[in-house]
Amino acid sequence: MSVDQRGAPAARPTARRILPPPVTGQELVLVGVIALLWVLLGIFTPAFLTPGSIRPLLVSVAPIALIGVGMTFIIITAGIDVSVGGAIMLCAVVTAKSLVDLDMPLPLAILLSIGLGLLLGLLNGVLIAYGRVHAIIITFGTANIFQFLALRVFGSSTVNGIPGTFDVFGRGEAGRTFGIPHSFLITVVVVAVAWWYLRHTSGGRNLFAIGGNAQAARLAGVAVQPRILGAYALTGALVGLAACFFIAAGTSTLDQAVGSGRELAVIAAVVIGGTSILGGRGSVIGTLLGAILVQTVTSGVTQIGWPSQLANLFVGLFIIIAVGTDLLRQRARKAS
Amino acid sequence: MTVTSDQAAPASGAPDQAPREHRGLFSRALEALLTQRVVLLAVLIVLLVITMSILDAAGLLSGSFNADYLASALISAVPLAMLGLAQLMVILSGRGGIDLSVGSMVSLTGVVFGYAYGLWGWSLIAALALAVVVGGLCGAVNGVLVAYIGFPPLIATLATYYAYRSLALVVSDQKPVNSPVIQDFYSAAQSVELPLIGGSLPLIPLGIFTFLIPTIVVVWLLLNKTTFGRRLYALGTNNVAATWSGINVKPNRMAVYVASGVISGLVAVVTVAQFASARPDAGTSGNGMALPAITIAVLGGVAITGGIGRVAGIVLSTLLIVWVNASILLALPGNDGTQFQLLALGTVLIFASLLNGLTKRKYGGI
Repeated sequence: MSVDQRGAPAARPTARRILPPPVTGQELVLVGVIALLWVLLGIFTPAFLTPGSIRPLLVSVAPIALIGVGMTFIIITAGIDVSVGGAIMLCAVVTAKSLVDLDMPLPLAILLSIGLGLLLGLLNGVLIAYGRVHAIIITFGTANIFQFLALRVFGSSTVNGIPGTFDVFGRGEAGRTFGIPHSFLITVVVVAVAWWYLRHTSGGRNLFAIGGNAQAARLAGVAVQPRILGAYALTGALVGLAACFFIAAGTSTLDQAVGSGRELAVIAAVVIGGTSILGGRGSVIGTLLGAILVQTVTSGVTQIGWPSQLANLFVGLFIIIAVGTDLLRQRARKAS
Repeated sequence: MTVTSDQAAPASGAPDQAPREHRGLFSRALEALLTQRVVLLAVLIVLLVITMSILDAAGLLSGSFNADYLASALISAVPLAMLGLAQLMVILSGRGGIDLSVGSMVSLTGVVFGYAYGLWGWSLIAALALAVVVGGLCGAVNGVLVAYIGFPPLIATLATYYAYRSLALVVSDQKPVNSPVIQDFYSAAQSVELPLIGGSLPLIPLGIFTFLIPTIVVVWLLLNKTTFGRRLYALGTNNVAATWSGINVKPNRMAVYVASGVISGLVAVVTVAQFASARPDAGTSGNGMALPAITIAVLGGVAITGGIGRVAGIVLSTLLIVWVNASILLALPGNDGTQFQLLALGTVLIFASLLNGLTKRKYGGI
């Protein structure tokens, strides 16, 4: 309130000072933990640190981190979206069916998937922003409806004989440049753009303001409802793109388990990345690192030879450790 | 003269209440329907039964819609309503209270119960007690994280959802725990005839009497007849005010998560009986048990922000969901039916929550 609006040169240093550092402590810790895990896994299972093992890891990180970007936007506004699993299923099955039945070219198929995802995101956003209903409840409801629609399209069987249109996002040779999977490269670009948007544009800062205190943000002139709608729409569009990655990473058959449980995997990645579920604080780089950490543990556990189901125990522990240390730090800051 | 005095009497007797009394029956019925969730649910159940009876009479159903069918459908109401009651208590306690881990706790305690009762040869009572204790401990972990360390409940229970689900699968080596004793335990899930008046009533699943009704009674007594219940409503309505009025917030908030774990332990025993084996994914396969339980709670009029919710709402919303699902299966047999159940659940949930928002704006309460 005390910032002088007319004195632009005077306001500038203030604006720069209130921004958090480009990379926060939580992100450095995550990088450290991931590096440590990779070194340890490299020592115990020599096969881990080879391109043949890292590449599939990056391919499976891509869709989770990509949706995680949108989910970070939503959670920064103090919302949540548990319908992404159902939305992935619907986008994937509609796109896969169109590839099989209509032999759609690649750009059209991507547009179809993103467009459908955007529509689903808009539905969530309209209900949440203008229906003034708690986000978790609405998205539980839409999750069921998306699943219903997807199952109707599936028609009680799998989609078979999907052509290789999406190989450019796949695990094979066609899916990488300089040895890095395209899906992961796209995800990194999206993360970079989102990072810049959240940090350096008024639209991005508005999201933080809404999450901090929606009422105060409204009184300060933030268009709260359109911004919230935008966050859900973005997530929907990214779900559409991620659905293409899921189709590409699989075989030529798409079964009804696609997308199942992914909403919790995405939320886990976001939370491990240091985004506060209460809103007003978060980072997309953290989300990318969180997704990498979860996937490292998942593939590491199986490569060591432990039961694969044990991976989820570690995911749970990581969530507790990541959020717990953050809580303790906040408490220490408050006490000092 | 007499006519005018008759007209004047009520007006002079209670002038202040006049505007309220002049409201039509319709307007008052509408307010009851919108503000009293129990009334709305009861009306919906009656409408459902009438619609289905008409469809049945017209011969459009694949089976006959009668009291026997409705009673047999109640078997799936047992776990749903019990977990709905668990969510009721957790959500009531406020501060974003929610328990995503109930399904995983059901899986984990079910496996433990299966080992104790089926393989280690424990008596039913001892194994049941073990399930309750293990469930309570799982819930206590949630409770400590939320109440004492300050985790947002969504995050704490998301983490334990992963952890317990993983433990259940690892402990059991991903195989259902099975033995002749457990297969015989299936008799605990069968339908029975009530004594005395039972001859004229349909057969009712045994779990209703052995598990569901005791849980309903205990939760109702806890919420309505004890100081703990009153404190819970205070806590959920305004955490700060509750603290300043001398309520020891932390143990009270922790208690609801323990209660949720205990109920999950009981549900685990019910599901072992229903499946005749202790499946390590009993509470987590498909959509799991947590989401339907939260749906039941919200549909039953529990405010997600805490402090508002009744046991009767949970019971009626469970009946509605279970009977809607059973009716859909009659109208659309097979795969179509199970798919349309998803649509019904989603639509009902969105409709109910939009209605919550509307009544809040129109009448200032749910």
